[in-house]
Amino acid sequence: MRKIGFSTGAVAYGDFEKALSILALSNLACIELSALRMSEVKILVAAIPHLRLESYSYVSFHAPSSYSAGDEAWLADLLYSNVPETWPIVVHPDAISDATLWKRFGRRVAIENMDRRKPIGRNVRELELVFEKLPDASLCFDLGHSRQCDSSMTDAFLMLTAFQERLVQVHLSEVNSESQHEALSYGAKLAFQQVASLIPDELPIILESRVNFEHIAGEVEIAREALFKIHADIHCYA
Amino acid sequence: MTKKLLEDTLGGFTSSDSSIVVVGSLARQEFTSGSDVDWTLLLDGISHPEHLKVAQEIRKSLKDLDIRQPGREGVFGTIASGHDLIHHIGGQDDTNANTTLRILLLLESDTIGHPDAYERVLRNVLWRYLDEDRGLWLGSGEYKVPRFLFNDVARYWRTMTVDFAYKQRNRQNEGFAIRNLKLRMSRKLLFLAGMVACFECHCGFASKEERQEFYSLKQVQAVIERLRLVLMKPPLEILASALLRNPNLDLQSKQLFDSYDEFLGMLADDTPSCGGQTIREHLDKLPVERLGSDETASRGRDISHRYRDAIGAIFLSDKNELGRMTIEYGVF
Repeated sequence: MRKIGFSTGAVAYGDFEKALSILALSNLACIELSALRMSEVKILVAAIPHLRLESYSYVSFHAPSSYSAGDEAWLADLLYSNVPETWPIVVHPDAISDATLWKRFGRRVAIENMDRRKPIGRNVRELELVFEKLPDASLCFDLGHSRQCDSSMTDAFLMLTAFQERLVQVHLSEVNSESQHEALSYGAKLAFQQVASLIPDELPIILESRVNFEHIAGEVEIAREALFKIHADIHCYA
Repeated sequence: MTKKLLEDTLGGFTSSDSSIVVVGSLARQEFTSGSDVDWTLLLDGISHPEHLKVAQEIRKSLKDLDIRQPGREGVFGTIASGHDLIHHIGGQDDTNANTTLRILLLLESDTIGHPDAYERVLRNVLWRYLDEDRGLWLGSGEYKVPRFLFNDVARYWRTMTVDFAYKQRNRQNEGFAIRNLKLRMSRKLLFLAGMVACFECHCGFASKEERQEFYSLKQVQAVIERLRLVLMKPPLEILASALLRNPNLDLQSKQLFDSYDEFLGMLADDTPSCGGQTIREHLDKLPVERLGSDETASRGRDISHRYRDAIGAIFLSDKNELGRMTIEYGVF
């Protein structure tokens, strides 16, 4: 049984408290605390000691996706000192200006593969350049981003194969042509099933689908179907 | 003309949703001064009304560079949609133009500017061929060759030969000699490269067990990548890579490449030799009635015969694996 949860940012835009109260009703195994914008990070970090997260077997933290180079050292220090060591911190590679600030995090930093808008981190070659600078970093694999870049799922296959050892969690959602995260479609489900066998059962799955409370359970169910491992029908007929 | 010149001139017309795809001699890396640039603006994303205007500007820019390009009404020199290439394989909607573009995209293409749309379409076309090929995944035969893809490559080769006859009639034999030579040489090379690329799905494994393991998982993307790495190379290199693994075929391989090299030499020769014309111009204008007596045409024919014989010695022999696979898949 896969461990599936939600990103707070997907459930309630910019309002982690509201998201937590909504998700508390859903009995999910995982959660990602999202501070995608710099304006959210300080408040969320300050709230960490008081958050009710006992019901979750896996918690991760999503760092802001964009900040000025001048804020980077401050942000890295803030996260290093205040985010529990057991929580992976998801970081967008294009947001990193000074990799040395993030190197000390080791595996705690989970680099996320990017969507088509970004100039780096979209495929094996581009991620290799990031991991050269952050050799101990882990990988948060975003299936939606990968499908948006290559709908044949070849890039997804290559990344999952090349960085199997680095995998720490998966982001799951539909990513549309404007790079917005949406609820999973039937097409996305079929596409994701093609590489599901490369995603270990124990890997936490974080949904980024923007759905209302009443659709959370349904979206989790579709996510389970999307990650159902299809095995080739190994019997010869010819 | 360099690719860099084209990149500098045309790169700005492309985006992550549109690629300029070039095919033909430029993509085969056999471009000579008499060659033209066969291009298509390949779209894979949101449709914009401006796309046609972009294609028109590409045409104008190439004209300003004094580069020969395809006619306005042909397969090339206009816009094409990735959707048609991916969804219309076979059936009524798979027009001659669609088949041509799809197979050339696979076997002899390159991009100017952003390659993203091209890469996506290419992989998805391969996905179609491979995912739906039950024999590839489940067949009990000795070889792992994607028959759906192979059949389309073979179909395209036959389409080129039939179109040759069609053009012969339609153009009242105009340009027969040069088109006939190209059919015998570069068009045949295209088919060979496609055939060998399909065979590469079987070859190149350390052992039979490793091959079985590879295909037992039905990981379509693994085969897509395997094929893509082969198809990235120009046709001559695809062929050379396969033949290099067969040192027992060195003599025949040498004859094959020597004859092809001689053919390219003829086309690339810019010296006015035949009554003030280059060889290419001479063959282009040679009346069909003089084919039998013309020295240049005879030389071309001789080259094509040596090329044909070398191909036959390699690919129609049951003494090497490439030959055995050709016999197995090539006709029936």
